[in-house]
Amino acid sequence: MKNYYDVTVIGGGPAGIAAAAEAARNHASVLVIEREARLGGILKQCIHDGFGLVRFKEKLSGPEYAERFIDLLNETDADITVLTFVTKIVKTSGGYRITMVSRDGVASVVSKTIILATGCRERTAKQVFIHGTRPAGVFTAGTAQNFTNLLGQLPCRKCVILGSGDIGLIMARRLTLEGAQVIGVYEAKSTPSGLTRNIHQCLHDYNIPLYLSKTVTRVFGEDRLTAVEISSVDKSMKPVKGTEEIIECDGLILSVGLIPENELAETLGVKIDPKTKGPVCDQSLMTSADGIFSCGNALHVNDLVDYVSESGETAGKAAAEFNASARECIDAETNSNISYIVPQKIDLKGDLSKVVFYFRSRDILKNCKLSITLDGGVVKEKKYMFLRPPEMERIVLDFSKYNLHKNSRLIFNAEGEKI
Amino acid sequence: MKQLVCIVCPNGCTLNIDDSGDEIKVTGGKCKKGSDFAVAELTCPKRTICTTVKTVFKNAPVLPVRVSSDIPKDRIFDVMNEINKITVKDKLKRGDVVIQDVLGLGADVIATSDILSLIT
Amino acid sequence: MKISSVNRKLKKLQNGSYAVKEIDNMRIVSGKSSDWNEIIKACQIAVSEDKNVHVVNNVKFTGGSDKPMRIPSLKDKFLDKRTPDVLIIGGGISGASIARELSKWKIDILLVEKESDLAMQASGRNDGEVHPGIDLSKGTLKQHYVLIGNKMFDRVCSDLGVPFKRCGQYVGFTQEELKPLIEAYVLKRIKVDGVTDTYIISGEELHRREPNLNKDFKFAIYNPSAGCVCPYGLTIAYGENAAENGAQISLNTAVLGMKVKDNKIYEVETNRGTIYPKIVINAAGVYADDIAQMAHDKFYSIHPRRGTNSILDKKAGGLLSSIASIKKLEKNSSHSKGGGLLHTVHDNILAGPDAVETFEKENFETRAESIDNVFDKQKNTAEKLNKGSIITYFTGVRAPTFEEDFIIEKGRNTKNLIHCAGIQSPGLTTAPAVALDIEKMTVDMLREKGCTVKRNEEFNPVRKPIPVLREMSDEERNEYIKKNPDYGEIVCRCEEISKGEILDALRSPICVPTVDGIKKRVRPGMGRCQGGFCSPIVTQIIADFMNEKLSDVRKSSDKSVIVYGDTKEGAEI
Repeated sequence: MKNYYDVTVIGGGPAGIAAAAEAARNHASVLVIEREARLGGILKQCIHDGFGLVRFKEKLSGPEYAERFIDLLNETDADITVLTFVTKIVKTSGGYRITMVSRDGVASVVSKTIILATGCRERTAKQVFIHGTRPAGVFTAGTAQNFTNLLGQLPCRKCVILGSGDIGLIMARRLTLEGAQVIGVYEAKSTPSGLTRNIHQCLHDYNIPLYLSKTVTRVFGEDRLTAVEISSVDKSMKPVKGTEEIIECDGLILSVGLIPENELAETLGVKIDPKTKGPVCDQSLMTSADGIFSCGNALHVNDLVDYVSESGETAGKAAAEFNASARECIDAETNSNISYIVPQKIDLKGDLSKVVFYFRSRDILKNCKLSITLDGGVVKEKKYMFLRPPEMERIVLDFSKYNLHKNSRLIFNAEGEKI
Repeated sequence: MKQLVCIVCPNGCTLNIDDSGDEIKVTGGKCKKGSDFAVAELTCPKRTICTTVKTVFKNAPVLPVRVSSDIPKDRIFDVMNEINKITVKDKLKRGDVVIQDVLGLGADVIATSDILSLIT
Repeated sequence: MKISSVNRKLKKLQNGSYAVKEIDNMRIVSGKSSDWNEIIKACQIAVSEDKNVHVVNNVKFTGGSDKPMRIPSLKDKFLDKRTPDVLIIGGGISGASIARELSKWKIDILLVEKESDLAMQASGRNDGEVHPGIDLSKGTLKQHYVLIGNKMFDRVCSDLGVPFKRCGQYVGFTQEELKPLIEAYVLKRIKVDGVTDTYIISGEELHRREPNLNKDFKFAIYNPSAGCVCPYGLTIAYGENAAENGAQISLNTAVLGMKVKDNKIYEVETNRGTIYPKIVINAAGVYADDIAQMAHDKFYSIHPRRGTNSILDKKAGGLLSSIASIKKLEKNSSHSKGGGLLHTVHDNILAGPDAVETFEKENFETRAESIDNVFDKQKNTAEKLNKGSIITYFTGVRAPTFEEDFIIEKGRNTKNLIHCAGIQSPGLTTAPAVALDIEKMTVDMLREKGCTVKRNEEFNPVRKPIPVLREMSDEERNEYIKKNPDYGEIVCRCEEISKGEILDALRSPICVPTVDGIKKRVRPGMGRCQGGFCSPIVTQIIADFMNEKLSDVRKSSDKSVIVYGDTKEGAEI
């Protein structure tokens, strides 16, 4: 490890690996700091396939996808430190001083730029207000996946899955393959949260029922979970009294949402978008703090790793090319049918030729049209058969041919039939 | 007219299938893979399996594996049984074959991680 | 109230039949009812002005039945034929502190706790406030001990290596017109009750000190002596120091029965063998009256009272730096002050608790309405209080008597018994003081029995705590890691806990090799991800340390299986 780096990447998951490799390819001196013993992040335990279809046109498992990128990173001269945990970042005249601990002791480096690739964490049972006792046997899907896929341990024999997020669906199939009985997947919303293909290949293929507008309201069991109480919910997601049913099981697996991890970003005063829970960024994925970049699931929760890698590369390239200079930003505005857009800002002084936007619709929209207007004029239109909240959309725009100025208004309008 | 959701890629296209004639006609997909999938789904549905296999290594008690190509859907649990009988003793690498031509289905079970060569 | 007047009042209750008679300093309420709250009311009506007289609830409750006491599945002869000088029943703050004070003497001390760890019930399920005694009037044991206990905390916590903050407490009032009344109240507390440091501050001063508290607070009572401590941390520390000084702490050990002859307990049956103690100390919390019954010495009843607290993310820690609550003058039947907000020693905010009477002694379930009630009320203490910041919540069950006071005395019929019962809030604050008195009572009792009781010359009051790496300077932390690299391997990212700290917990004087045991000692899993990331690693570290399989590791009790074993059979090798 050197004393000074152009780019320090915090987090060695798919976003961080891609960011580091891209920064190094762009001639920056790079340090990757990973808190676990191996690079790869959560992909290490995502042994299912379906990764890399966009990037490699192949159906790879999580470890295969991650390791291909790790191989590319290993071809660069980026420094990598694992089992290393960042405790503090402070601004200095030359950039940022990063303090970290590892088995070697406490160390610090100065870095001109930082890429925050810290991923996300899972929402817990208590955060969705599940009441009752506190037995063993209540797992977030990721924890159950870790026990199953990394430690080879069966976390439950007969379980209920709450939440139809992708990890929940994947775990339904995974536990079934390992001989556990999955009684059903329960989703409080009236539509599934995970990708449609996962509903089919993880639930339908294995005859696992999916119950919508139902949630777990209570857990039973003083030592190990013995049963859960399921209730129907009304339109405002409140449990309806009198609809309770008790289901005996020894496991409750929760797939009830992911939260971008931005505790380090917050210590740096980085502005957070309440909609994405990630930093507000410009098209280079630089946050409101100069020289601090964000990518992957720390930026916003992605459903495809391919886009996680892409955002890492965007941030990696920009960090390598970073030169402190004043920015002049306009907002990317949306109408109410779009729940969020990333990046939230366009820096008029930055590269305008290829701006990649990621967005999600608020509701399911059918026969939908997205029109993007700049100062009232349409710059792009795109039709979608469906826009679904679980499926992130990506669109690339070239603004270099337009005369953007500081009073310009860029608006994303999605219109369609709500179903 | 039947409907199927294509599971080939994350787009999850809804496919409309007309199998009333001699030939199965598929519409609604964004690419040709969708119609191949629909035809296979109606004739001989196939799936992949991703799972783990036991190892002798304490710091990586299981090794992630998958089948090298899709296998018939109704043989999934048969293949799982075969995989569950194996214990890996060598430090296999990504892509190395764990079981050759599993149950004569024409697919190998292959390692999908280099983890065994990375652990101590 | 005279018995006849009590009976007249009881006749007026609608949902059951109740009658009271007074025998041997007991007011025994009998009858039948399906309404638990009314039974509580009946017993409260029966409370005598004579402090020596206690209410015993013998009313048959037909509205439900409590589950039998949780007992461990473990069964062996580990303690069989043990003849300790002192057997302490209960490993809560009372039992643990008594064990530690008694370990100053050269006597054989055995503490039994039925759960898998110390502080598993009320002592581990409260807000950790060190009370100033502002809400108590002279004349009760609670009030007597709270003043002494509070003053002991700096010394006790420093000796035991437990973090303690004297953070102060504010009781805010929105009704300006109450000020003369409250001034008189405070004056009485100072002059009569001995809370000498309490005073009133203005709304402006309050908001200068705690800017997030209700803007409508016109004035507040300030109690600088109030503080906070980690309640299970203190209990474990007391237990560990007792163990270091020679006391035996036996977990997973439940008292199942006793044999009493000639007004003396001579045999105590447990799941780990039969014990023949010289003296028994009853510190059994909600089961203290059941233990008293076993000992043929029941002269009081415990009526369990549930309370739920929520813990907020450290990110919300800036809400306040002290303890605060709102007080409105209104008729309130609740015996708890209805909760408040507290900035814990670990920099979380804790909101609660509420107070609900229950017939279930060990039902620790949480309910949505408890949290809703606390938040509805506490939003008036600090309007920025946000349920979205909750990371977890828990329920505890208090163990009050109907007199709402402690019972610290020798057995009335049974001569080798000491009761430490009815311990509820401020039982954590009073524990250090109560333990000293019980120590004296025990030593006297042993001497009366003709035993020679000598000082334990090797007694060391100081317990060395597990180092907290995240609180060290970089230089100090570096030195620790250089000596032991495990201190540099972070396992829990939310709370920044290293593998070294976890191994220290496993090597501590009372080893509790469970995920919850480790969590209580060094905090992995206490943060915002609630163990999502670290619980598999902690499980693995425990399994490695204990040289057992992952599936042998438990969350807490011996039945709380975490994983069911290998997913694969594999080939025979």
